[in-house]
Amino acid sequence: MDSWVIAMMLGVSIFLGSIALIAFLWGIKSGQFDDEEKFLNAVKFDGQEELNDAVTQQKKRDELKKKQYKPE
Amino acid sequence: MSDKVSCTHCHLEFNQDVMIVDGEHYFCCKGCQGVYHLLKDQGLGNFYEKVGNTALTPPTQQYEDSANFNSPAFYDKFVSVNKDGFSEVSLIIEGIHCAACVWLNEKALHKMEGVISADINYTNNKAKIVWVDDVLKLSSIIDMIRAIGYNAFPYDASLQELRANKERKDYYLRMAVAIFSTMNVMWIAVAQYAGYFTGITQDIKTILNIAEGVLATPVLFYSGWIFFRGAYFSVKTKAVNMDILVATGASLTYIYSIYITLFERGEAYFDSVTMIITFVLIGKFLEILSKKSVADTLDIMSNHIPSSIKVIEDGKIVSKNINDVKVSDIIAVGSGERVALDGEVVSGEGNFDESNLTGESEPIYKQNGDKIISGTISIDADIKYRATKDFAHSTLSNLVSLLEGAMSNKPRIQQLANTLSEYFSAIILVFAFITFVVWWMWPHSFETSFMVGISVIVIACPCALALATPVATLVGLGIASKRGILFKQAAQLETMAKATTLVLDKTGTITQGKPKVVKEHIYDEFDTSLLYSLVQNSKHPIAKGIAEFIYEENLHNLELEAVKQLPALGISATCNDKKLLGGNVKLMQTEGLCQDTTLHVDASGGEHSEFYFAYDGKIVAKYELFDTPKEDAAESIKAIKSQGIEVIMLTGDHKKSALKIAEQVGIDRVEAELTPDGKSSYVNELHKSGKVVVMAGDGVNDILALATADIGIAMGSGSDIAIDVSDVVLLNNSLKSLNDAFKISRKTYYLIKQNLAISLLYNAITIPLAMAGYIIPLIAAISMSFSSLLVVGNSMRIRLGFKDK
Repeated sequence: MDSWVIAMMLGVSIFLGSIALIAFLWGIKSGQFDDEEKFLNAVKFDGQEELNDAVTQQKKRDELKKKQYKPE
Repeated sequence: MSDKVSCTHCHLEFNQDVMIVDGEHYFCCKGCQGVYHLLKDQGLGNFYEKVGNTALTPPTQQYEDSANFNSPAFYDKFVSVNKDGFSEVSLIIEGIHCAACVWLNEKALHKMEGVISADINYTNNKAKIVWVDDVLKLSSIIDMIRAIGYNAFPYDASLQELRANKERKDYYLRMAVAIFSTMNVMWIAVAQYAGYFTGITQDIKTILNIAEGVLATPVLFYSGWIFFRGAYFSVKTKAVNMDILVATGASLTYIYSIYITLFERGEAYFDSVTMIITFVLIGKFLEILSKKSVADTLDIMSNHIPSSIKVIEDGKIVSKNINDVKVSDIIAVGSGERVALDGEVVSGEGNFDESNLTGESEPIYKQNGDKIISGTISIDADIKYRATKDFAHSTLSNLVSLLEGAMSNKPRIQQLANTLSEYFSAIILVFAFITFVVWWMWPHSFETSFMVGISVIVIACPCALALATPVATLVGLGIASKRGILFKQAAQLETMAKATTLVLDKTGTITQGKPKVVKEHIYDEFDTSLLYSLVQNSKHPIAKGIAEFIYEENLHNLELEAVKQLPALGISATCNDKKLLGGNVKLMQTEGLCQDTTLHVDASGGEHSEFYFAYDGKIVAKYELFDTPKEDAAESIKAIKSQGIEVIMLTGDHKKSALKIAEQVGIDRVEAELTPDGKSSYVNELHKSGKVVVMAGDGVNDILALATADIGIAMGSGSDIAIDVSDVVLLNNSLKSLNDAFKISRKTYYLIKQNLAISLLYNAITIPLAMAGYIIPLIAAISMSFSSLLVVGNSMRIRLGFKDK
């Protein structure tokens, strides 16, 4: 019985740890840590306006994408 | 005197009366005012809250016409189309001072119709912009960046830099996995070894083994992939390297551990697998971290090459690719455009900016029959010229190819650790094999002999060896950068430590580069204000020296007419119909003013630079100027010499003044009157005689020599190209830090050697023990970390002796 408790605890903690690791790897891959200065300064320029800006940018992008692929 | 107020846009402070008043705001120039109103109109006014009190660069007039960016040839070179069909370009943005600048640029670009994303890196000011080319053109993007007070030019990102970044990111990922797993394996291993000494049942051991195995697998196959790849290449090229040792050691241990786990034979050694890979990976990563990309340098040079040319054929302007233009084609250059080929003006006139080739910051006036040089920019000239050379033979293209050549032919001194590890790895593999065979012959079970063989590889595994060089160089680089010495690449510390010869440029390196008047000869009375107003028109160092010398409170600027810069001669102007001339002997001779022998005009050139001033056809004064050496020059050169380094001075100046400086600072070998080419071939000759050469310089005329030398050192105040080409930059321009650079690199090299000795000594003790079978992998793992710590600790000793500052 004892050994199953140990096995489970090991399994669960390695699983949880690996989730954190995968999140970190995703962060590196998607370039979130590329520019350390900007990364640290980002908090200063965060707000409603920035959020809106990001949304408009995304919308603009989708629209333009649609336009480019319209059937000719 | 009125109060100082700061400009609302750039925050630079000026006297109130020179500022442009606009409501309650003050501006230092029209540019700042324009940007301020533009930002307000665009609704980006809160930029000023974000920027705080940081001083910005006032917007400057851009000579180059942005329409050039729309040419097909330019698009071919810099603009790529991504998979969504959007256009992409990489730009370097100039004038970024703070995070708010990045914010402003991104915001302003995002507001533009058609821009999909603008991503600016604050650390290196490089931006990636994605936009729809049907909606707007690249030139509008550049115009926007210029309109808000910055400047941008494109660079080819597909080059090495991108590759280097990718490699670095790849290492990050692999290291993250390795470090995560190692740390987790370690606490499982603690349980394992605690059980080893206090008693533990086999089924618990197996559970721990399986957990370790799960963690070790990604380390070996993902993080360790680099070593397998390296081992494969080394087998292919038949050169044994450290990668083979790491790869075989780690994978043999891994296989053996699986065997132990499956057959329940006690403790597995997965912890050794992860530790070997993690340590050596960190060592490799540190090496990569300090490599510079040559690409960056050449980006800036090739940015000077225009991609399409306007050729006039049968009275019509045809756009041609630069390589298709032939000699004696007539080429049109408008204002704001760059000249691509060497040639001769056939019609039109105007001013040219030659600063990026000659370093001369004054515009130079060209008219019919004058030669124009490729790479220069037309400021206001609208001319036609006849190409006298094709592109491949033009000055600009020559310079770029000379530089490329010099950089790729640079002698590479192999790093000590690399040479060592080649032999080391081969020897260890042989030893391990012999151990295994001997143990097996000497009747032992296959299992035991295999175990002992592996322990030899594991104990010898060059963790300490791999860390010896990178850790020491990183500490060295850190100390150097605190003292204003920037090494662009870690390996250069080692090269510099081996240097035998130091070659110094005179102007700006040994001397201050600011000539001072040492003697004044007045031949006739004249109004000093005249001379003052005249020299105010020139940015030449000699003119500045004169202005500084004659400056008095009651001088006033007079209205001068027809001011003309005469390159390599001086300046001329008229005031109230009287002609003013200021310049060197040659100018006086061409103007025919040297008949009067009483003036002792000496055309051969003395120790000092001479400046003559003629008023109304008569020489009225002569000034002798001398560029004095930097304060610490003599002392520092003495210190460098005492380290056993030969010091040589090279200069383009004439011999007499060179010798005088050399005498003052204590240099015995002087080569004077050298062309930029001459400097670089002199360095080459030193190479041929087996010297390791360090060259220090600051000007555009030194770049070839800087690129040719083993180590090129540029002064921080030097021209941009010189800084780009060099390997080391001295931020505070002093010769004292040059001496420090030598000291730090020698100390670092000494400690690298010591580190290598420590790790080899450690191996010399442990390998025989391992061969005799006294070392189980547990002890191997512990001693491995111990030797690594020893090497890291030893590297910290570089700091000793450099503590005073």
